[in-house]
Amino acid sequence: MRHATLRTATALVAVGALALTGCGGDSGKKSEGKGGGESAPTVRLPKLNGQTLQVTAVWTGPERENFTKVLDEFEKRTGAEVEFVPSGDDMAGFIGSKVAGGGAPDVAMLQQVGVLQEFAKKGWVKPLGPDAKKELSENFSKGWQDLGSYGGKSYGVYFKASNKSLVWYNTQAFEDAGVSEPKDWKGFLKTARTLADSGVEPVSVGGADGWTLTDWFENVYLSQAGPEKYDQLAKHEIKWTDPSVKQALTTLGSLFGAKGLLAGGNGGALQTAFPQSVTQTFKDDPKAAMVSSADFAAANIGQTKAKVGTDAKVFPFPAVGKESPVVTGGDVAVALKDNKASQALLTFLASPDAARIWAGQGGFVSANKKLDPAVYPNTVFREIGKALVAAGDDFRFDMSDQAPASFGGKPGQGEWKALQDFLKNPKDVAGTQAQLEKDAAKSFGN
Amino acid sequence: MTAVADGAVRARQSLAARIAARTGGGVLRVFLILVGLFWLMPTVGLLISSLRDPADVAESGWWEVFVKPAQLTWSGYGNLLGNAKIMDSLWTTALITVPATVLVVVIGSLAGYAFAWMDFPGRDVWFMVVVGLLVVPVQVALIPVAKLFGAVGLFETTAGVVLFHTAFGLPFAVFLLRNFFAEIPRELLEAARLDGASELRLFTRVVLPLGGPAIASLGIFQFLWVWNDLLIALIFADSGNPPITVALQQEVRQFGNNIDVLAPGAFISMIIPLAVFFAFQRQFVSGVMAGAVK
Amino acid sequence: MTSGGTAAAAQASGKGTRKPGKSVTGTRPWIAGAFLLPALLLLGALVVYPIGYSVWRSLFDAPGSGFVGLGNYAELFSDDRIRTALKNNIIWVVVAPTVATALGLIFAVLTERVRWGTAFKLVVFMPMAISMLAAGIIFRLVYEQDPERGVANAVWVGVHDTFAEPAPYPGANPRPNSDLKASGGGAFTTKEAARTGTAVSLPLVAVQPDDLKGAQRAVAAKPRPGQITGTAWLDFTRGGGGTPNRIDKQEKALAGLEIQAVRDGKVVASATTEADGTYALPARAEGAKLRLPASNFAEAYNGVDWLGPALVTPAIIGSYVWMWAGFAMVLIAAGLASVPRELLEAARVDGANEWQVFRRVTVPLLAPVLVVVLVTLMINVLKIFDLVYIIAPGASQDEANVLALQLYQSSFGTDVNQGIGSAIAVFLLLLVSPVLIINIRRLRKERQR
Repeated sequence: MRHATLRTATALVAVGALALTGCGGDSGKKSEGKGGGESAPTVRLPKLNGQTLQVTAVWTGPERENFTKVLDEFEKRTGAEVEFVPSGDDMAGFIGSKVAGGGAPDVAMLQQVGVLQEFAKKGWVKPLGPDAKKELSENFSKGWQDLGSYGGKSYGVYFKASNKSLVWYNTQAFEDAGVSEPKDWKGFLKTARTLADSGVEPVSVGGADGWTLTDWFENVYLSQAGPEKYDQLAKHEIKWTDPSVKQALTTLGSLFGAKGLLAGGNGGALQTAFPQSVTQTFKDDPKAAMVSSADFAAANIGQTKAKVGTDAKVFPFPAVGKESPVVTGGDVAVALKDNKASQALLTFLASPDAARIWAGQGGFVSANKKLDPAVYPNTVFREIGKALVAAGDDFRFDMSDQAPASFGGKPGQGEWKALQDFLKNPKDVAGTQAQLEKDAAKSFGN
Repeated sequence: MTAVADGAVRARQSLAARIAARTGGGVLRVFLILVGLFWLMPTVGLLISSLRDPADVAESGWWEVFVKPAQLTWSGYGNLLGNAKIMDSLWTTALITVPATVLVVVIGSLAGYAFAWMDFPGRDVWFMVVVGLLVVPVQVALIPVAKLFGAVGLFETTAGVVLFHTAFGLPFAVFLLRNFFAEIPRELLEAARLDGASELRLFTRVVLPLGGPAIASLGIFQFLWVWNDLLIALIFADSGNPPITVALQQEVRQFGNNIDVLAPGAFISMIIPLAVFFAFQRQFVSGVMAGAVK
Repeated sequence: MTSGGTAAAAQASGKGTRKPGKSVTGTRPWIAGAFLLPALLLLGALVVYPIGYSVWRSLFDAPGSGFVGLGNYAELFSDDRIRTALKNNIIWVVVAPTVATALGLIFAVLTERVRWGTAFKLVVFMPMAISMLAAGIIFRLVYEQDPERGVANAVWVGVHDTFAEPAPYPGANPRPNSDLKASGGGAFTTKEAARTGTAVSLPLVAVQPDDLKGAQRAVAAKPRPGQITGTAWLDFTRGGGGTPNRIDKQEKALAGLEIQAVRDGKVVASATTEADGTYALPARAEGAKLRLPASNFAEAYNGVDWLGPALVTPAIIGSYVWMWAGFAMVLIAAGLASVPRELLEAARVDGANEWQVFRRVTVPLLAPVLVVVLVTLMINVLKIFDLVYIIAPGASQDEANVLALQLYQSSFGTDVNQGIGSAIAVFLLLLVSPVLIINIRRLRKERQR
């Protein structure tokens, strides 16, 4: 489960800051200030009194609390009763066992395009109704709509998006080493070297979780080879033995293979799980200076004493080619049962009204064009959100999430495993390519 | 435990006593204390972690509290008590465990009595079939029973989970109780019968009371087994209102993040089984003797 | 359900269960039927029917429409993940029961009839009462990789560092453009031969802040006739801006660094830097190259990756042994209590020492109990699920895979194939069926008595 591992409790420091200063709250209220503290609804929902609805997602802790607020609003507007059920990390297993007994939840927040497609193939997910489709097409760019489709039919609404092309850094470590945010890959390596000289291991990599490595690769590849190649590789229209892959891996190897640039060395990086890769960068005695990760790493930073915006800041993934990459991920809401209430909830989740509620709480970015960026509680997230909307269709969705799960989404096999082996031995570019191609061919069946 | 540890007092010494005598007792004692501490350590680690702030858990190991006792806080448990989901799940666990235990005892003793003292064609064959089912792994039933329950509306219900546990508890229950009931002196039953007791009366007034010890062992085992089960509840229980094991499993995410719920939650989930264990050691041990181990 | 079948059967036959008598009650069959009905109904619907269904289902493909014969069973032995699961199950079945029984035997013998042994037994037996889920959570904490948080690695690293002293400056290396160059094996050596009467500066970078706690300012060493002198320091100014290869203000001394003078591959002299970073080598070092041996920079030992791919199965087996050694101990202790003392005494009188008595007399007498314990644990281990599901982190779940977990995933996960899931279920049933046959045979024998 790819993002399963990511969507950790979102005790967003940002939220804490918001609560303390109250400033973010103001902006939130401004936009929902009319009509007795209610935002003027932009979307019409049917009355669903007496109906019940079960929704599942991997979210726990603060993420769950924030999502529950969204669901509360839905209950208030429609009169339906919504029950939230956390699925545990093993979402596919959870839904699979419930489908086996005919007791699937009504709506699920899936985390991989691949899973959505598999479910659609099996007929487990139901197409969007006209209302939901209308809301979706009004508020989301075509790229996001396509990601929720399979075989020409729309199935999903990307309620929560994430920007994976970010590097979080420890401001104190940067200050101590006298370096500033790098813009391109060369500068990035130089910054890393200076940080290393200053005595802090520069780059934290959560190599125990294979998906962090696929994100590294995708960022480098998208920026270096460009979006067209990226799309081709994502669909396995070009082989992993392509020279562009070799170039990207060689570039990545200039970081992974350099002595002293990875926190804990290559062996240590392989033992570091994602949450630890973030917390070790921001804990009291930081073990690293930077960690490349999505916006949701803010949740993990929240586990430490560091504050987002002051102790922890973010810069865009350095440009390897002409431009910095924008790789995104997201949670897509799908209906597992075809009923009025499920469709109404999907319609609601596609509206800015729903996005606003969680966005105001922090730890949430939306690709919804109609969402007023003012609701984000701090600049870090406002910028991420704006950039996401501004990217239009120019972003690229996480490549490994588009692949069949056996290649791009499972621990210990496919891309995750091959890139872990690469992290172990960054010199073996050709061997890594061969392995990737072999696994990809098997999974894609071409 | 004393039943096991001490047994009948004999005049001659055990090997342990001999070793103790030869080494002055010190070495053996130190060894056992060390091993005991080693065995306790994981549990103590969980207990202390449950009493620390999650930020401290992320920074350092639980043993740091020995240097900084100020880190100890009840807040984890405070939050847990306010966590309706976990509290409800404990109640759900009880709602599953108690009926599943009672049903196994009742249905098992009825059948055990029938196998021990009633005459009907094919009795031995039937009994062997039931005993044969002792070793059937629950895994065999997951897919078929999910479909079956789905068809009759028992999927995702507490009743379904109870029935599943009861069914898989029965072979052992029947086996244990039939053997125990068979030990009841025939004269006792005949005397009751002569007094004009009906079949049911004989069962409730004579057989059940005499079967007390076996029933207690069985009950404790079934109780612990059902209370501690994860797999069956994971598939068959109402996921919106799950028992404690499933509720905690849903919280098991990347570690370190939910430790503030997991550590106290796991500890609370252990309290009832541990209490049962300590209160009924003797029956528990005799249950182990009888092989009531799943 | 129970793996207890054997234990139970052995126990029962041991006691010589009385053959149930003729009905005292002159029951009419329908009354017996009424007593049996609830049990038979439940068993039939939820245990017997599923067996039949699983066998039937295992012969069909994933959607359940195409007949594949034994194809799913062939898949069990050809699919890599399932084969790993099989292999792990074999490891589990061999190792876990053996270790648990061996420990149980040792504990039972050592605590036999020792008063305070009771408390010990209680401690060891206690984990049996808790859920595998809770045990899983407990052991995820124990096996936490970071030695500062996981107790297993904390102890391991502690022991390791007691025997191998940690390096003073792990990960440090020379200024890239200084005279020092890597000379293999993690050591650094100067290019130029050193002359007495000169000062050779040794600028290093990438020293971790922790290793600099309490370090003094670096002092430039004065050249001294008849000696090679110099300074080793952290050539990095906090906040940037220092000049490379020069001892800037604020730059810290590196004390305790070992420096060797090497000529023709032989160490002719060595020195250790002072608190202010200076060192002095005697005249015999003249013309030698200066080497900073690797022992100065060896990476801090970070412990073992318990839950990594290589060790995850043994680590989880460890947690299982923690839970179940008490079970073995209690059963063996009970067996021990019934060993006739006279036999042991007789052996002693015959001049056997304690070890011989234990091996030649006690263990053979305990053999039936040991077998029961072993077989019970083996059956139990075959079905292991919760511990693996909870403890194995995503990254090594495949390496930790076991049949029961694979069954769950094949039945309900993304790559659902209920044909395969059913085949694994039937396979598990086949694996435990020898015990089933033994049980029934025992019963039959009993019947005939």
